[in-house]
Amino acid sequence: MKWQILVDGRPVEIDGGRLEAVVQVEPGVYSVIVDGVSHEVRLQASPEGLQAESEGRRFSVEVANPRDARRGSKAGPGSGRQNIAAPMPGKVIRVLVQKGEIVEAGQGLVVVEAMKMQNELKASRPGRILEVRAQAGSTVAAGDTLVVLE
Amino acid sequence: MFGKVLVANRGEIAVRIIRALREMNIRSVAVYSDADRAALHVRLADEAEHIGPAPAPESYLRIDKILEVAKRHRADAIHPGYGFLSENAEFAAACEASGVVFVGPPADAIRRLGSKTAARTLAKQAGVPVVPGSEEAAADLDQARRVARQLGYPVLLKASAGGGGKGMRRVASEDQLESAIRDASSEAARAFHNSEVYLEKLIESPRHIEIQIAGDRFGNLVHLGERECSVQRRHQKIIEECPSPWVARNPEIRAAMGDAALRIARAAGYHNLGTVEFLADQHGNFYFLEVNTRLQVEHPVTELVTGHDLVQLQLRIAADEALPFQQEDVTWNGWAMECRVCAEDPENNFFPSPGKIVQLREPGGPGVRLDSGVYPGWTVPLEYDPLLAKLVAWGPDRNAAIQRLRRALAEYTVSGVETNLNLFRDILADQQFQQGNLYTEFVADFLARRKPRPEPEPDLATAVALAAASAQAVNGNQAPGLERLESSRWLAEGRGQLLR
Repeated sequence: MKWQILVDGRPVEIDGGRLEAVVQVEPGVYSVIVDGVSHEVRLQASPEGLQAESEGRRFSVEVANPRDARRGSKAGPGSGRQNIAAPMPGKVIRVLVQKGEIVEAGQGLVVVEAMKMQNELKASRPGRILEVRAQAGSTVAAGDTLVVLE
Repeated sequence: MFGKVLVANRGEIAVRIIRALREMNIRSVAVYSDADRAALHVRLADEAEHIGPAPAPESYLRIDKILEVAKRHRADAIHPGYGFLSENAEFAAACEASGVVFVGPPADAIRRLGSKTAARTLAKQAGVPVVPGSEEAAADLDQARRVARQLGYPVLLKASAGGGGKGMRRVASEDQLESAIRDASSEAARAFHNSEVYLEKLIESPRHIEIQIAGDRFGNLVHLGERECSVQRRHQKIIEECPSPWVARNPEIRAAMGDAALRIARAAGYHNLGTVEFLADQHGNFYFLEVNTRLQVEHPVTELVTGHDLVQLQLRIAADEALPFQQEDVTWNGWAMECRVCAEDPENNFFPSPGKIVQLREPGGPGVRLDSGVYPGWTVPLEYDPLLAKLVAWGPDRNAAIQRLRRALAEYTVSGVETNLNLFRDILADQQFQQGNLYTEFVADFLARRKPRPEPEPDLATAVALAAASAQAVNGNQAPGLERLESSRWLAEGRGQLLR
């Protein structure tokens, strides 16, 4: 049996017989010996797919399998609508823009406080503010849309 | 000596204090908020009691509740750690009033030194140079503008009651002043319940060097040398070392700074542990910055080099013992260096990264000390400081300490939350860092010159593919077993909120 694995988008073919090189040493932690070289690989499932970590590096991993071919296409930066979302739960300290305002790339949009630190969410590209959903003083959950940019 | 001590803190420092207490055969009482029921400090303490909801103002900052717990558990003393109530004179006074010893300086000394502006005045009276700046908090924008013009831009805005870089802003020109004051005051108000800010002349490319002092109630006062803490992000220290490479090249400076620190402490009527912070410019001048009237996060580097346990020393002083050594007994052996390992994402402007620690491998071995507050399966709460652990290495000289720290960093793995481990691996490999050319904007400049890491060996991609194939072979097509790890912090967070 052969496996087709995409590591950071690059295909690696694995012969089933080579799996003897792998031992799961802890939940999600794999010791792998390749040609006498010892590696440790950590695997994690995430909403974006399988993530691997080894020697301080991250890899996205895809095991070729027709059932997994359901990746949604994300709109690239610089075009169309963009939702600026809270990267983590926190409190909205200040809203720096108004509906209809034209913003430049790098301009601050909303100040959110989490873990005792204030963080300014910035526009990644120029655009017009289509909608402001964040309210100063309100608590937001991770992924909540704060501002919609057009 | 005390029979029982309450630890009014959480995280790695609460664990550190509990360890000192156990070595002294003193019982420990932990306090915890809703978010910390399963925290390591609660697991390690002899006794523990709940003090309120997760937000610190409703738990770790509640003087009344903490004193209540101290009374109920018959604690003889309270150790405040750092942060939270550690530099709160009102708390120190309330402890004394209710008959429990505050492990720290007298409330009066905290008051005298707690306000940075008052401390500056005191330092000047003691003949210690200070950074040019306003003596008082800026009353309004007009006054701030006048002071800034006199000092000349760039200037630095600082919170009067501040620490840890909160409420601090660099202002390059007058048009930035208004918004900088607004941001700094609101941050200061939230962090310290005091929105006052003042202005200072910005010293370009300074080193941050601080002197550890210790004094007893009988007037004995010594210094334990310096720490260099120039490697900072967002004005917060991330790598500290003892000795300072600058002081090591100019040994006479240690005595001069030590002497200045002791003059200030004496003028303030200080006892217990404290840290006097200085800025050193590129020409060999040093200026008094502020006094931290508490145990410092980075105290382990001094402990490893001087051989003194500073937390135990604090407890002895608080229990009315005399300092067990004098200035001439203090010696410095070798070199120690510390990394503050935080749940944050250096690739994303150091954004905090709370969540569940799914996997953890902690380093050990010769010359390595890890002061950690976490364990695998622990969910790092979003309400508090993102510090997970302090990794400290000792070596006979600076190069040996760096090599050891790099080795320990190679062993250290944390998954489930983002950490700054990779940043430390890269900084410690940096030539400028290795040569000891440090200054407070070091990290910003380093990030600008940092090269992308070289492509991994094809070997590594094969290893990753093998691990993934193996997981798939064992678990079938859906890679189950991986989901069960609750590895996604989004999922963990969502689940946490459902349970709340």
